[in-house]
Parts: sequence; C-alpha cells; structure tokens
Amino acid sequence: MIELRGVSKTVSSGGQPLTILHPLDLHVPNGQCLAIIGPSGSGKSTLLGLIAGLDSPSTGQITIAGHDITALGEDALAQLRGEKVGFVFQFFHLVPSLTALENIQVPMEIAGRRDAKLRAQALLDEVGLHDRGHHYPAQLSGGEQQRIAIARALANDPPLILADEPTGNLDSSNGRHILELLLQVKRARGVTLVMVTHDPSVAAIADAQLVLRDGRPVAAETTATGSRPA
Amino acid sequence: MRFVLYMAARELRASWRRLLVFFVCIAVGVGAIVAIRSVIQSVRHTFAGEARTLISADAIISSTRPIGEKLAATIDDRLKTAGAESIRSVELATMARAADKPGGRARMVELRAVEDGFPYYGVMKLANGVRYEHGLLRGFGVLVRPELLAQLAVAVGDALTIGSQRFTIRGVIESEPGRRLGAFSIGPRVFVDLADLPKTGLTGFGSRAMTQRLLRVPDAALDGLIVQLRKDFANEFARVRSYQATEDDIGEDFARAEDYLSLVGLVIVILGGIGVSSVTRVFVQQKMKSIAVLKCVGARSSQLLAVYVAQVAMLGLAGSLLGIGLARLAMRAIPSVLAGTTPGVDITYALTAPAVTQGLGIGLLVSLLFSLVPLLEVRHVKPSLLLRDEARSRKPDLTQVLVTLFVVAGLVALTVWQAGSLRVGLIVAAGFAGTALVLHVAGSLLIRAVVPLARSKSFAMRHAVLHLSRPGSQMRIVLLAVGLGSFFIIGVRSLQQNLIAEFRVNVTPDSPDMFLLDIQSDQVEGVRSVLARYQAAGAAPARLLPVLRARVVGVEGRELQLENFEDVRGRGSLAREYTVTYRPALEPNEKIVAGALWDATPSEAGEVSIEQGLSERFRIGVGDTIRFDVLGRTFAAKVTSVRFVEWADSRAGGFMFVFRPGLLEKAPHGLIGFLRGPADGDARARMQTELVAVAPNLSVIDGREILNAIKSVVDNVTLAVTVVGTLVLFSGLLILIGAVAMTKFRRVYEAAIFKTLGATRQLIATVLFLEYGLLGLLAGTIGAGGAIALTWGISRYALEIPFHPLVRLSAVGVAITSALVAVIGVLSSWEVLQHKPLATLRAE
Repeated sequence: MIELRGVSKTVSSGGQPLTILHPLDLHVPNGQCLAIIGPSGSGKSTLLGLIAGLDSPSTGQITIAGHDITALGEDALAQLRGEKVGFVFQFFHLVPSLTALENIQVPMEIAGRRDAKLRAQALLDEVGLHDRGHHYPAQLSGGEQQRIAIARALANDPPLILADEPTGNLDSSNGRHILELLLQVKRARGVTLVMVTHDPSVAAIADAQLVLRDGRPVAAETTATGSRPA
Repeated sequence: MRFVLYMAARELRASWRRLLVFFVCIAVGVGAIVAIRSVIQSVRHTFAGEARTLISADAIISSTRPIGEKLAATIDDRLKTAGAESIRSVELATMARAADKPGGRARMVELRAVEDGFPYYGVMKLANGVRYEHGLLRGFGVLVRPELLAQLAVAVGDALTIGSQRFTIRGVIESEPGRRLGAFSIGPRVFVDLADLPKTGLTGFGSRAMTQRLLRVPDAALDGLIVQLRKDFANEFARVRSYQATEDDIGEDFARAEDYLSLVGLVIVILGGIGVSSVTRVFVQQKMKSIAVLKCVGARSSQLLAVYVAQVAMLGLAGSLLGIGLARLAMRAIPSVLAGTTPGVDITYALTAPAVTQGLGIGLLVSLLFSLVPLLEVRHVKPSLLLRDEARSRKPDLTQVLVTLFVVAGLVALTVWQAGSLRVGLIVAAGFAGTALVLHVAGSLLIRAVVPLARSKSFAMRHAVLHLSRPGSQMRIVLLAVGLGSFFIIGVRSLQQNLIAEFRVNVTPDSPDMFLLDIQSDQVEGVRSVLARYQAAGAAPARLLPVLRARVVGVEGRELQLENFEDVRGRGSLAREYTVTYRPALEPNEKIVAGALWDATPSEAGEVSIEQGLSERFRIGVGDTIRFDVLGRTFAAKVTSVRFVEWADSRAGGFMFVFRPGLLEKAPHGLIGFLRGPADGDARARMQTELVAVAPNLSVIDGREILNAIKSVVDNVTLAVTVVGTLVLFSGLLILIGAVAMTKFRRVYEAAIFKTLGATRQLIATVLFLEYGLLGLLAGTIGAGGAIALTWGISRYALEIPFHPLVRLSAVGVAITSALVAVIGVLSSWEVLQHKPLATLRAE
C-alpha cells in the first residue's frame, strides 16, 4: 500500500538548512496497522504529512496504492487524497463554520458523489453520533469531534487512513474509545492504518512500529519494514 | 460545481455577521449611485416628456426687440402656410407696489403679459381651486405668486401699481407652465393681459422686454417651419426654438449632471471596495486552517477560490440589494425635500430600472474586483499547515501581478463607464489614484512622526503607538478613508467661508449696494432728488451712467472679417446684445493694455475701447472697425484701445465696449445708477417706493437681497457637498469598524495576555482610546491639510479671491475626526474588554 524510497525532508530554519527527516525507506502492506512513535520533534508528523501528500519530500519517492505521489501536482494530489486517503488529526481540524454532518459530507461533495448526505448520515450512525449531525464543532466535546473527524476520514471509502496523534488531545477514556473505533474500522473495512503517537499503549496494539528519533528510524526498536537506505 | 455552491452558501451562513461591514460598505455606495441616478432620471423623464409644457408651445419665437411690421408679416405668412396658429407674450422685469398703501414697499417682479389662448400646453394652476381663464386678466386684472402677496402685504382684491398702471389682484398662481427650471429669478412672477401692457408705459423706449410668439404647429409642418423661420431670421434679432430642441438640451444637461454626480457615488463605492479588500484579506487569514482542512480532504485550489469568489458575489449582491433598498427609502424623502423647486411640473420620484441595474452591476463588480487579489492567497495555503505552523511570506507571483493589473484596468473602465466619457473617466481615475498615493505617503510620514511616542513613559501611549505602526495594521486604509471624508467636509466648509468672506469684503461700507436700471433721460432729475434725500452723511453721491444696448453686426479687422449679423452669429457670444456706455476717462478698475484712450473732448467720429478678454477671444484689435446696431441704427466705430477690466471690482460697472463721448449722446438712451443705499431696511424700502413713484419703469436691484440669494445658493451647494462628505466619512468609519472587527481575534488574545499579566480593563481601554484617538488625529490632519491645499488652489486659480487659511475651522475638524474615530474604535472593540482571559487562552 505504502512504499517510501530514500524519502527525506529538509527545511530552512533561520536561513540555515535543517533536516527534519533523514533519508528513509518504508514498506507498509495492505491492511496493516503501523504505529509511528518517537519523542516530540522526531519527525513523526512530517513523515505522516509526506505519506498523505500534504507536503513534498526533499528527496526520494513515495508510492501510495501504486501511484507515485512525488510526481503529482497540487491538484492531482488533492484528488488522490480525496479518493485514497483519510486523515485524522490530533486537533480534529473540523471546519468550524460547518455542522457535523456537513463536515462529513464535504469530501464526498468534492468527489462529486450524489449520495453525500445519506452516506454522511450513515457514517454518523457508524461513529455513534446519529443525533448530533446538526451541531457545530464548537458544540461538541473533544471525543465527539474526533469521531466526526474519523467519519469524515471514511467518507470516500479510502484504502488508507492516516492518524496524527488521534488520542493526543483527549482524556484516557475518550482516547480509548477512539482507538477502539479506529481498530474496528480497520477490521471491518480492511483499510491500512498509519498512526502517529507517543503513547506506548496505543503503539502496542499496532501490527508494526516505526520508532523515530531526531528524524532517523531507531532500528533496534522498529518492528516494521522501515529502515535507513543502504 | 455543487460543492462550490454548497460551500459558498454554508460559509456565508457562518460568516455573514463578520462580513456585515463588507456589504454595508457596498450598500452605502450603491445606494448613493442608485438614488442619484434615479432622481435625475425621474426629473429628466418628466421634463423631456413635458418639453412642450416647458415652453407651453410647439415652438417659440423670441426677440429682445419689438418685432417689426415687416418681419411680423413674414412670420404671419409662414405660419399661415404651415397651418400654425400663434399667441403673443411679453416678459420683462419691473417693479410692483401696493397701489393703496402710500409709503408701502416696492418689489421687483417678473412680469409676463399674455393673450387669450395661453397656454397651448400645460396648465396654469391657481390657488383655492380657481380655474384659469383669460377673463381673469382682462381689464387690468393681475395674477400673482403668493410670495408677492406676503412681501407687499396685499390680498386678492387689492390693487397693485405696475409701471404707471393700476391693476387688481384677481388670483394667486400656484404653478405655471413654461417656467424654466433653475432659471435665476429676480422676483416673483405676475401675469397681466397683453392688451393692458402698453398702458403701463413699460414697453416704450429702452425697455428690456422680451417679445415672444408662442406657436402651435401641426407635427408634420414643424421641422419645415423652423428651418424656414431660421432662414428668415438670419439677419434679424429674433430666434426660434422648437420643443424638440428644448428636449435635446434638457436631455444633454441631465445626462451630464447624472454622470458627474454618479462619480461621487462611485467614489463612495470605491471606498467601500477598499473596505471590502481589507475585510477579505483578514477573512482569508482567519480561514487559513479551514482552507487547509478542505485541501486535505481533496479540494483543489481552484475549487476553493471559486467557493470564496461565489461567496463574495453573494455578499456583493446582498449589499447592492440593501443599497437599492436604502435608495428607495431616500427617494421617499425626496419629494418633501425638493418640493417647490420645480413649480408647474409634477415629478414622480421612483427608482428607475437603468439606475437599479447599474447599481447592482457596480456593487457586484466592485465587490469582485476588490476581493480578487486578497482571495488569490487561498491558492498558497498548504494543507501541511495543519501539521505545523509555517512562516508565510512570499513575493507576489505572476498570476497575482496579472490579476492586480486586470483589477486596475477594471476599475478604470468602471470609472469611464460611470463618467460617461473616456476623458473625464481617465482624469477621475488618475485623480483618485493620485489622491490615494498622496494620502498613503502622508499616512506613512505621519506614522513615522508618531513612532518616537513608542518610547513614551506611559504604558498606554507606548502600546497605542506600537499597535498603529505594527505590520498588518489596518491603519493606512483607515487613514485613507477617514482622511478622505474629513477632507471633503473640512474642504467644503472652508471654501464656503472663504467665499462668503469675499462677498462681505466686496460690500465694504462705502461701496454701492443698490443698482437702478432703466432710468429715462427725463427722469434723471426726479431720481437724483429722491436719492439726495436718502444719501447718508459722508457717503459718495449716487452715480448715474448712460447706457445703450447694442449688437455687433459686422467687423472689419486684420484678423477677423464679419460681413453681416449672420456671420457674427457664427461667432457665438459675440452676437449677444451688449450694454455699452460712453465716457471721457477710465474707471479705477480699468487699465489700457493696447492703443490709447481718447482725450476728454467729444468727437462724432466713432471710437470704441474694447475689453481685453473679448479682444483676445475674437481677435479684434486696435485699428479694427466694428459695426454696431443700436435700436435699429447702424454705425461704425474704430477700436482705438484695449482695456483690462478688474471684474472682481466691477461695482462701478464693467463694460465690454466703452465709446468716446460725442457719438451716442444723441441716440435715445437710458441710465443706470449705482449707490450706497440707506442702512436702515425701512428707509431702503421707502426710497424704492419713492423712486418708482417718480420713475415707474425703473427697476431697483437691492445688492443685499442678491447677496442673500447668493449666500443661500452657496449654502445649498455646501449642504449638498457636505451630505456627500458625510457619506464618504461614514464609509470611512465603516471601514474603521470593519478593520477593528477583523483584527479583533488578535486583540482579544493580546488583551487576555495583558490581563493575565495584571492589566486592568481600564488600562486596556486607555490603550485603545489613545490608539484610535491618534489614528483619528492623523486622519483629521491629512483631511485638514488636503482641505487647506484645495481651498488655496480653488481660491487662487478658479475663483481668484484672496485665500484665508481657516485655522480654527481646521482645528475643530481635526478634533471632531479624532474624537469620532476614538469613540467608534473603542466601542467596536467592546468585546476585547469583555472577554475573560482564561477562556481566550484555552481557545488558542
């Protein structure tokens, strides 16, 4: 599902180049759940952003579901994200001016689906919030907002879900529920799930783990197929 | 497409309150344009439709001289051939007084004598439902305007003396057809029977009566008749004019007025547009995260740009509709404001379809043009913004540059369209750009000037100045808009005061303030004796100057050769009737610039001195010969000198042509008089009555009344421009409110930090008050500075009057602007003061 070859990211900081992700190879098979873990500033979110095509790598090649996304332009990337990738953020990032239901509808409307509203309602039911569709994000709790975000991520039936610290902004009880929901979705739909977290208990339930430190994979702790390129 | 429309509607639902200022900005400007255009179009429509009523005939022949028998026969012949009929009418200015009140006042009136059959078109409306018929006038009856009844303290049934004839008031005129709109009126209208006119003695020699023939002509024959009569009048002092020409003139005048006034509306819309631009800029900044989210879930930049453009279009449309609603409200108030300015014509003021369409179009165009450049930012929002904050400083890309050029071209095109002329449109667009640039530079300099205050010991002052000068502050835009508004208001006020001061200076204690017209030679002694009785001690005696009315009928010059009057007519104003005099010497306001003035000895060889402007305009110089027609007698005079006349000081009379004594004395002529009237109003009135008693045909023009009339005209113009200035200032304040609202989120956060660090609400309010007070002070300074420059320029070059910098007026203007901006700034920041710090910091 995901194939990274020699992917790195260097940014400019105070006029000096700063490498926040050193060259990395990674292979995530279909249906696998990968946890990317590491301390703050280790490059976890950067890696996730690169996989989602939210940002472009400085070097290397990223292939998602057979598409080389490093060769795609902004609009093609946006289209690919809409069809193949669902994203769940730590801070939910719902559009504050839209209701819960409308937030779920948006990706389907962008993709031109006619049944957006019906399906959004079904997804709302799936995440257990069938009666909260008309509420605005500000009227929902953190846990509820994250459920909406998950429903939105599932809107176009993407084969890949990327989650950036999905429980990082929630209390432990809500965090547990969200995690269960994500795993349930993964099992039920057979999607590939990549999660960034620094919570070991969250990481423990993943099929594989990629540990990053200072922008490099720590081989000893990594159980996935991620490695430094030779 | 569905996504774009859905999202635009949803976004609008969520943010319309924040964008309220956006559409109010558009609404005010669109309202101004729609109201101005509708009013003028309503008036124009009514007048163009009633052009026949305006001249109360199909065509009108007029002449300032009695129409001779031969010419009258020709006219009758032509009318007969064309199947036309006609009635005669005479108009003249004269004095009227109550016949049975010895010592009562005498008033100048505009007399119209008509025959049975008047009017061909339109209706003469009389008070109390009395129906107009010519019988009311027959046998020395007179119809008068209500104001004359009040001025002379008379009523229907009383008698008036006009000239040397007694008339009985038989009715009160409410409205009459054929009264020209906006024509300068020197007195109330009175109507008498044409058959009674000769008895008044007003149509004799030297009369300034305008003789008219009103024609009713079958439609098919009208054009041919006009062409024929024009040929017949080629060498006569008569002219003919059809209602169609009146219609065309009215159409052109109104079209020009409409286009020029609409430019004022456009200025307000463009100011609104500046508001729109800044509101959109901040709006996009606030929407960055939402845009990133939408991109993250698959939206393309072009789709999002379309969402926000659609949103702006909806807001622009809503603003324009609100503006049309405002214009409609304004139109309801108009009939009561303009009542009485168009007597005789009932105008229905209503929104007109073209005005509404233009308003909608302009509202939409300005909204889109001004928001396009800030909206382009949407393209540069990266979805990775959701993962980490990134510095976003970029140079404008090619698209942005091209779109900016497109927007500028669009605005210029819009201005040209509204001005109805490429030239005027380009000038206005350049003027607007120049003003904006000057205000921008002045704003930047003033900000620099206050920056040292940032080192002030006062915490509040330090932070107020820091807020003003920090990057991203809206102050330059606010300075531009508020500064422009105060510039309009202060500028117009100071121009008005300069003008009125100039009139006061002109009426110095010893300068003449009364003018006597049409004194006959045999009335001179009687007039002099009345004047002597009222002459104030120490005042200069009244001066009586001989005057004749002459027309140029030919020129034999080195540069100009005009064979006959038809040739002269081809030279425009040279063909008009001039009032001329003769005297042996120059007046104090005259100077010879070419040739030499005659000596004091009279000579029968015609010699004339001409005014410099006339000499230059028509290329007539020393040595040329001009042929004049005075009362039908033609004679030639050689130009022996060219005079410069100081027109601003023409209280002793300014003449285009002055003759050497000796030639004109024998021609029958009248005199005019200049005098300083008694200071006391009653004595002035008594003197006028006595003058009319000895010289019934004489007219008295009271300089004081003229001055009051001018003052009221100046006041009306000032009022109109002040209304415009107030609208501009209002737009400026709206932009201020918008700017405050848009930066509020940052303010609330800062205030929360300050409060956490121990700042009281009072301290934060003081910072806000100082910040906006300072902003208002700068805007007021820019406005007052601009106003002083404007007043200086207009006084010096357009009006040629001395310039007085009005320091007090400017200071008051600056103070009011400053206070207004401070109060509105603090009031619109109320939320900043009210927010609890903990909630704010948690939300961040």
